[in-house]
Amino acid sequence: MNAAASFYSPVQAIAGVVIRELYRRKDFYVLFVLTALITLVLGSVNFFNEDKIVRYLKEICLFLIWVSSLVIAITTAARQIPAERENRTLFPLLAKPVTRHHVVLGKFFGCWYASGLCLVVFYFFFAVISGAREHAWPIVNYFQCFTLHWFMLGVVTALALLGSIVFAAPSSNNTITFVTVTTILLLARHLNKMALSLNEPLQTLVYTFYFGIPHLELFDVRDLIVHDWAAIPWLVWLGALGYATVYAGIFLAATCYAFRQKSVN
Amino acid sequence: MRAALLVVAAFCLSTWLEPWFQHWRRSGSGDVITIALGDSRKLFASHFYDKADAYFHNGYYPSIYDTKAEGELHMASGMAGPSEEHEKEMDFLGKPKDWIDAFSRHFYPSVHSHLGEEECKESKHGDKQHHEEHQTAAGLEREMLPWLKLAATLDPERPETYVVASFWLTQKLKKMDEAEHFLREGLRANPGSYEILYEMGRIAYEHRKDASRARNLWVLALDNFRKADEATQDSKLLLHCQLLSSLAKLEQEQKNNAEAIRYFTELKKYSPFKDQVQAWIDYLK
Repeated sequence: MNAAASFYSPVQAIAGVVIRELYRRKDFYVLFVLTALITLVLGSVNFFNEDKIVRYLKEICLFLIWVSSLVIAITTAARQIPAERENRTLFPLLAKPVTRHHVVLGKFFGCWYASGLCLVVFYFFFAVISGAREHAWPIVNYFQCFTLHWFMLGVVTALALLGSIVFAAPSSNNTITFVTVTTILLLARHLNKMALSLNEPLQTLVYTFYFGIPHLELFDVRDLIVHDWAAIPWLVWLGALGYATVYAGIFLAATCYAFRQKSVN
Repeated sequence: MRAALLVVAAFCLSTWLEPWFQHWRRSGSGDVITIALGDSRKLFASHFYDKADAYFHNGYYPSIYDTKAEGELHMASGMAGPSEEHEKEMDFLGKPKDWIDAFSRHFYPSVHSHLGEEECKESKHGDKQHHEEHQTAAGLEREMLPWLKLAATLDPERPETYVVASFWLTQKLKKMDEAEHFLREGLRANPGSYEILYEMGRIAYEHRKDASRARNLWVLALDNFRKADEATQDSKLLLHCQLLSSLAKLEQEQKNNAEAIRYFTELKKYSPFKDQVQAWIDYLK
């Protein structure tokens, strides 16, 4: 118990610094104001004097939330370790009793909690806007949507942290992570169909890739929310969270390994 | 001094800008969307038109990687009820190909249903009530309208967008004024469009109960249809039959049997149900 507490204490301290950094920076505020502004302007449009139309608004608002959350998670995670290295604060940080694993985990949890805080604000705004229009409060669905989104951001954050060790600059890491995540979100669901239409050995190759990549699109339940579908069964929801945890764990382990191999200066 | 210079500069600029703006407006290039998007606006319009159909199916819709049925979209065929052929067309997902595919179907709409349908087929979650209770509320077809409006704004020269929006506005939302207003917008962008004229006649006949106005609109639509080229006429056979049968029905109700027989006789040439049409002609004689 004591060992766990002593391990987690530096992780928590580093995570706290990352969270404080988030609310000192303007990124979140700008993205939130933009999301709110665009949603409110679109919500004020009159279509055929029908004031109960809401699904288009939900779709656009959720799309903006997804884009904003990805921007926040990736840019925050990608700059953590390079910034420490550039400012030469990594040396004092790595002084005993803080190990490199503590730094990686602290940065990860900090970014992940910070993304979660942003998501809480975004989803609260979304719930208020859609509730005000359609007079329905499917809290369970929103909770599932929020948690799945948050765990997906956990995988993305771990991926961006790994990228921050592997790639030379945060800008290249940002771009590569954005492209990778967007490609997975858009194409991963259809890779199996593409594989089935290919000849061997390409089929096996694509299918292996399909099973290997983290299926981030699983966590995108926007269509279920927009079109008022029922909540996902809880066991399935739990399975998805487990799936995200496994992938986040793999990426974090790879980050720890890569960070240990890398010289600090 | 600086202020005076600024005022003079602003005045000079306005004398140059004002005629340029007037010329720009007169040349008909005032549409910002056309300038910004060019012909690509038609692609976007087509996407938003499909988006409305996706909304009609509650988000259950084939992607570019799925097999999509050719021809008219289901929301445009005007029948919200399930048909066996349509069910088959919309079974684009098929059986799960692997465990990820099976698992992922819990996270997006993977069961075929339509907006406003009270009873849904077996849910993917194993229970029979997979829609929320407010899903059963009437008038959910309104959710398609923003995309249809957007499609019409981007590509005003596509009559079916106006017709489909008008159909749902009148049939489900009972918004005749809005439908007529939208159709008139469409008619201004597509002068003499027989599809829009037919729809306007339908509103006049079915909802306004104004038979003479409906007749005038349908006769004009029929005249314009006959002026269209042969290929267009062949592709719009259903509309031709609808025009003739609507006119025949109207004339029969107005006790103009000779006119009704004339329309039925013409309809017989194109209709796949020739015996039934002949039976009507015999009855009227």
